[in-house]
Amino acid sequence: MNRKLFVLSLLLVFSLILAACGSPAPAATDAPEVPAATDAPAATEAPAATEAPAAGPVVLKYASSANITTWDPIASFSTEAAYMANMYEQLLRVNAPGSAELFTPLLAESWEKSEDGLVWTFHLREGVKFHDGEPMNAEAVKKSIEAAKDHAGASFIWLPLDTVEATDELTVVFTLKWAQPLELIVGSEYAAYIVSPKALDAAAADENYWSAGVEAGTGPYMLESYTADQEIVLTQNPEYWGGWEEGQYEKVLVTIVPEATTRQQLLEGGEVDLVTSVPADAFATFEANSDYTTSLEPALFNYTAFFNTLKAPLDDPKVRQALSYAIPYEDIIAIGANGRGTQSRGPVPAGVFPYSDDVPQYNYDIEKAKSLLAEAGHEGGGFSLKLTYASENSTEETFAPLIKDSFAQIGVDVTIEALEFTQQWELAKTDPATAQDIFLLLYWPTYSDAGADNMWSMFYGNPENPGNLNATKFNLSYWMNEDYNALVDEAGGLSGTDLDASLAKYTEAQTLLVDQAPAAFLFDTMVAFVIPNRVEGFKYNLNYPDVRFWFYDLRPAK
Amino acid sequence: MQKLEFLLRRLGASIFVLIGVSVITFFIARVVPANPAALYIGPKARAEDIERVTKQLGLDKPLPVQYAVYMQELLRGDLGTSISTKRPITEELAGRIPATLELLFSGMFIAVLIGVPLGVVSARWQGRPIDVGVRVLSIVGVSMPAFFLGLIFQIIFFRNLGILPLAGRVDGDLRFSDPLTVITNFILLDSILTGNWVTLKDAFLHLILPSLTLAAYPIGLIARMTRAAMLEVFGQDYIRTARAYGVRQYVVVYLYALKNAISPTLTVIGLTFAFALTGTFFVEILFNWPGLGLFTVRSLLNLDYPAIMGMTLFGASGYVIINLFVDLLQAWVDPRVSLN
Repeated sequence: MNRKLFVLSLLLVFSLILAACGSPAPAATDAPEVPAATDAPAATEAPAATEAPAAGPVVLKYASSANITTWDPIASFSTEAAYMANMYEQLLRVNAPGSAELFTPLLAESWEKSEDGLVWTFHLREGVKFHDGEPMNAEAVKKSIEAAKDHAGASFIWLPLDTVEATDELTVVFTLKWAQPLELIVGSEYAAYIVSPKALDAAAADENYWSAGVEAGTGPYMLESYTADQEIVLTQNPEYWGGWEEGQYEKVLVTIVPEATTRQQLLEGGEVDLVTSVPADAFATFEANSDYTTSLEPALFNYTAFFNTLKAPLDDPKVRQALSYAIPYEDIIAIGANGRGTQSRGPVPAGVFPYSDDVPQYNYDIEKAKSLLAEAGHEGGGFSLKLTYASENSTEETFAPLIKDSFAQIGVDVTIEALEFTQQWELAKTDPATAQDIFLLLYWPTYSDAGADNMWSMFYGNPENPGNLNATKFNLSYWMNEDYNALVDEAGGLSGTDLDASLAKYTEAQTLLVDQAPAAFLFDTMVAFVIPNRVEGFKYNLNYPDVRFWFYDLRPAK
Repeated sequence: MQKLEFLLRRLGASIFVLIGVSVITFFIARVVPANPAALYIGPKARAEDIERVTKQLGLDKPLPVQYAVYMQELLRGDLGTSISTKRPITEELAGRIPATLELLFSGMFIAVLIGVPLGVVSARWQGRPIDVGVRVLSIVGVSMPAFFLGLIFQIIFFRNLGILPLAGRVDGDLRFSDPLTVITNFILLDSILTGNWVTLKDAFLHLILPSLTLAAYPIGLIARMTRAAMLEVFGQDYIRTARAYGVRQYVVVYLYALKNAISPTLTVIGLTFAFALTGTFFVEILFNWPGLGLFTVRSLLNLDYPAIMGMTLFGASGYVIINLFVDLLQAWVDPRVSLN
């Protein structure tokens, strides 16, 4: 009797809980169609929350997932770019693909290059001051660039730089060791900010100078306060050279919210105006809601599966081609990335130089894969491969089994091993002969030149010892092809003077690469934005993946 | 006198416990095949940069030497620098401890306030519907995952009813209208000290849901422990005697029985408290509570060994101190407990 009562009440409690969880889902989808539905109190309260500080400053409230790993603008090479880019500026900004102009001048008003692409002269904007009052001039630029070349997190982007000289107050001359499209480097998301020389001196004297949360840029916003892991407050720089209009946000209140579900609820409840992202499965709800504008934008990240070309049978290009045909690209995108992706064409993500539509792709074709395997002397497969992926990457975790299943159909057995990225990397670096057979990697170019980055870093072979990764950082195929190396060298040389000719050479190199298939090119990722209608002016720029929002461009809707 | 001697002896022993913990953590954190210098510098570092940072962090020396250096710095109160945030660990901890303690105290306060009476009531009316109700509630409290319960609270009280805030310690807008002067970083305390009543009310509202979520598990545990202990005590002769003498019911239950039944509950409360110091990351993540749990998880994922060391030592000290406190409390509640 007693026991029955006990079990019954337990059941009752759990069904009540389930009922409580179940109800909000229909309520949320109903909302757009029937605005005056039963959950009206929540809906009417939402706008009230944002109108509350009407008397105070116009504040943009942003729930961001991006943490501060450092306040040092030179060392910065991570998520803090989301805020840094609103406080610091480069000489110029690389525009989104498809824009009328390739670049937007920022601290440089104009620039020109010599015939051979080795000497670049930048003319600086006059009368710009850093937030600490120092003047922005040629000496400041020289000092920032030299600091970046010396000890930035991404200092390797300055490898082509020989010297940078201030020839007069507002003129800076860059001399390169080899020709490069320098605009892309000075416009880099990382290691290219121009920083107050006073702050650089202070940082050189005290290594903890930045850690308390200070900044010394020229950008539209200044850092007002920072509470580690919690909150960042930015305020207008009244002397910003670009000027201010009525209606721009006076302050930006960033709350760091790592949990996507929490961000979603904050956005829906009207507690914040912007979020970095919402959970993938919640995106459709926002898509159906006319109070929000949603978009899926191409990102410059891509997934690559490297084949270990130093080990049999993957040393045979035919086998690698067969495996490339046996990869279920569409399923990987649909399941692994929730449909947010497009199949890659080679190592260069769409929208970034030197991407080309002319580079061929493999399609999913099991029969073709089988016949190629037979041609290579592996009728019916019969070998096994070890695949490693980074255990912290949930996308790779989701799609790795799809590759295993598909390879099983052609008789190739795959063992999947999840490792912390650093361990996956150690294993790959120690000895190619005992390392993995397939390495899954998420990669992106550090600045908007995937020729100098992706094509070089991932596939340029080391002629002396292809297995030694120290020279060519991410060549996880240990692949070495002299023709490819020569084409990339040639294309890189041309890129400083003639982008079109360079693109043609790079395309040739990519075609060769895809044919030789040292890796399978899985997909380019996409990034999802949910912008409420109360915020206007959002523009996406794929060249700055960690930035996401330029607060200066945004306005509260009238 | 006996108590002082006991205290000193236990404190002395705990130093060895902490040294043991530090040795184990240090070496476990460092045998993981990952290079802290590479982590420090980020994903695309050059070999020479890694070498420079390796020297800078002292990672080129043998492990025992590194440990000695670490302990030497530790005695000076320096826990090193975090690899992921590049800030001193002491600073990282100092900023987070008040947030965690604030949540923890209010959560445990609720747990004791609700859990003990529930257990008593349940034992007093054993087998009646109210007992069944309490047992169901404690099973639900103990078995319901905190992140799930927290989500339900958020959906009901924030999204559907709109009466409680969703996350964080205090509403961001208040910094512009009623800025709070930070003294102790305990928001409740600071707002009382500075007479900032708007912030006090807001911080209090922010505390309710995470505290309740955090309290769910200990409520169940405490109620069950109290119920079991009370039932045992009710069977004792002296209770029967007291009842035979006609002592009033509530005096028997609350004065004679509860006092004797409380000691296992005290142990449970102590252990739960110590665990919650660093173990409440589900609640902290869900409510975006900037406490130690969140930091611990992130340090573990980033193999941030100075942070892991700092957190482990802090957690271990917490356990040692709370256990000591519970033992003293036991002796005070029950004179039969010998401190020797």
